[in-house]
Order: sequence, then structure tokens, then C-alpha cells
Amino acid sequence: MPRKDKHHKTAPILVQCAIFAGILWVASILSALCPPSFVVPTPVIGLVLLYLLLTLRIVKLEWVEGLGMFLISLIGFLFVPSGIQIANDLGILKREGLQILLVILVATVVLLVVTAYVTRLVIAIHKRIMGGQQHDSIN
Amino acid sequence: MTALTNNLALPFTGIFISLAVFLAGQWLFKKSKGFFLFQPLFFGMVAGIIILIIWGKVQGTSTAYVYRHFYKPGGDIIFWFLNPATIAFAIPLFKRNDVLKKYWLDIIISLVISSVICLFIILGASKLVGLSHSSAAAMLPQAATTAIAMPVAEAIGGNSAVTAIACIVKAVIIYALADVFIKAFRLQHSQIGLGLGLGTGGTIGSAKALQFGVLEGAMASVCVVISGIVVDLVVIPFARLFM
Repeated sequence: MPRKDKHHKTAPILVQCAIFAGILWVASILSALCPPSFVVPTPVIGLVLLYLLLTLRIVKLEWVEGLGMFLISLIGFLFVPSGIQIANDLGILKREGLQILLVILVATVVLLVVTAYVTRLVIAIHKRIMGGQQHDSIN
Repeated sequence: MTALTNNLALPFTGIFISLAVFLAGQWLFKKSKGFFLFQPLFFGMVAGIIILIIWGKVQGTSTAYVYRHFYKPGGDIIFWFLNPATIAFAIPLFKRNDVLKKYWLDIIISLVISSVICLFIILGASKLVGLSHSSAAAMLPQAATTAIAMPVAEAIGGNSAVTAIACIVKAVIIYALADVFIKAFRLQHSQIGLGLGLGTGGTIGSAKALQFGVLEGAMASVCVVISGIVVDLVVIPFARLFM
């Protein structure tokens, strides 16, 4: 399907930038309005806003797709400064580096395994409930 | 000499270092046919830190000073682009609205339940090895993608630099060892479950998931986005209650 969409006009890059900037601007205002006890980062609000605008067909896919997919393709690179940020406090790695690595290892395995198993269980239960409802309706 | 130092403090230095180390990583990753320690982001991070350490040694200043004065101005500019890049994830999510409409309830329930279970285990592990409060708090939001995890970590008093490290190292571990974990824990039975699980490794985990199948890849991308939102909603109250 994306291949066929080539015929669609992609919006000019500055228009795409303007849509992203507008969403970020609104999102940053909404983020500032959130109480300090419930912080919602600007990008999260922006993500939900853009998703809603797309789903409600207010913003067309071809208005944001070019720039958006370009930015996503860069995401690995964009995280480089976040990684290098630890150079500001290498002491923490000297003090707790091994412990931090251990917890990351545990967290990695636990997140992967627990998420996979819980999902399997939830889908199985959901199917059983749905199956039960169908059974009821037949009765 | 001061003119040179002033010039080096312009953003160009940080931008160039970031690009150079990342591209070197990409090249090595390709040449070594995907050796996990050459994963471009991981390699770029380690190489960048080593460059700053050597720079500090040569100049006779601390690494932190070099980071703040010469790397950070450029690094911040690149970092800013994570804002539009994160909201761009609404696009793949929208494109998979068909999968979402069918499984949205299962996905949200699964991710909320599993993130609460994981938070208890991660907090327990942090306490067990005796992490300081700021490091333990930094560990909690790591199920989310880095751009969301970092501000959440700061909101609960964690060190966001440690969170970034956690997210990156976790993604590299998943990329390198996913096959081992899948075999050991028999995760291959549910494509959706496996996809969501690999999605906890962020965008790098999603790339790995795509190797197992299109559905796994789609679910991993969905997980990156939804678990980012779930982490945002669950971790802050969790930290308030249990830390």
C-alpha cells in the first residue's frame, strides 16, 4: 500500500516542519499545565496529539510522513548525546557501575520474559471470555 | 590559545564528534556483520566518552569539564531533535491501526500488568545490590524509550544520564542475546507476546523483532509507543508509593 501512495503529493518540507513545530508548541503548553505531581513530558503529549490528529483524519499522513520517517530513521544517532551525557559524572560508574550493570541485566531479562508471558496469558484469557460469550449467545 | 578554546566551545565540536563516532560504529557494525559490541549507538557512546576522557587528560582538566564546555553545546542541539523524532512515532502507530484496533485492550492490559510486576522486581534488585536512591530511581523507567524514560527519571529524583545508559545497554543486550533468552524461556509461542517483549528494548529491540517476523516487528513498535505512555502513567505514582 505505501508504494501506491507515491502518487499522493507529499507536503513541502517546510509545511511538514510547521506541523511538527505546531504540535510541539501546543504539547509544551499542555505539558506545562500538568501539575508537578503528574509530569507528562512534552514529546509524550505530542505523540498522542499527532496520533489523534491522524486517526481523526484532521492531519493527512502525507503531511507528516516524509519528515517523520526521516526523523525515525535517525533515532539511533539522536541518542548518542544521551549516552555520552554520563561523561559529566563518570564517578557514578566508578562507585556503582557494576551494581547498575547487574540491575540492567536483571531488568532486561525480566522485562522481556514477564511482558511476553503476561501478554500470552492476557490474550488466552481474553479469547476464553470471548469464546464463553459466543457460547452463551448460542444458548 | 583562548581563541582556539573559544572556537572549540561552539556547537560544531559536539555535533562533529557525535557524527564521527556514530558513523565509525555503523561502518564497524557492517564490516563485522553485526557484532553486537559494534552496535552503532553503543559504540558511539563508548568511543565518545573515551575521546572526552583523553581530551581531558591532554588538556589537564576533568572529563566533566571537557563534556560541559566542548561536547554539550553540540550534543544539546542533536538531543533537541529527539522531541520531533519521538512524536513521529505516532506515524507507525497510526499505520498499524488495524492491529491496534483488534488487540488494543489486550496490549494495554498486558503492558500495565507486566510493567507493575517488573517495577517491583527492578526496585527489589536495586535494593538488593544497594544502589543509591538516584540510581535506583533511574532504573525504574527503563522500559520506556530513552526520550520518555529520561524526563520520567528526573521527575522521580533519578539520574537521567544513568537512565540513558540503562536504555542503551538494555537494547544492546536484547539485540545480542534475544535468541538465547527466547530459547531459554520458551518465548516463541506467542508472536504478539514476543514482539511486545522485544519492544522493551526500544527501537533497537524493534529492529531485532523485525528479524523474527512482520507481526513481531509491528508489535515491538507498538510496545515502544504504548509502554512509553504506560511508564509515564505508572512509574511516577509507583515511585511515590514505594520509594
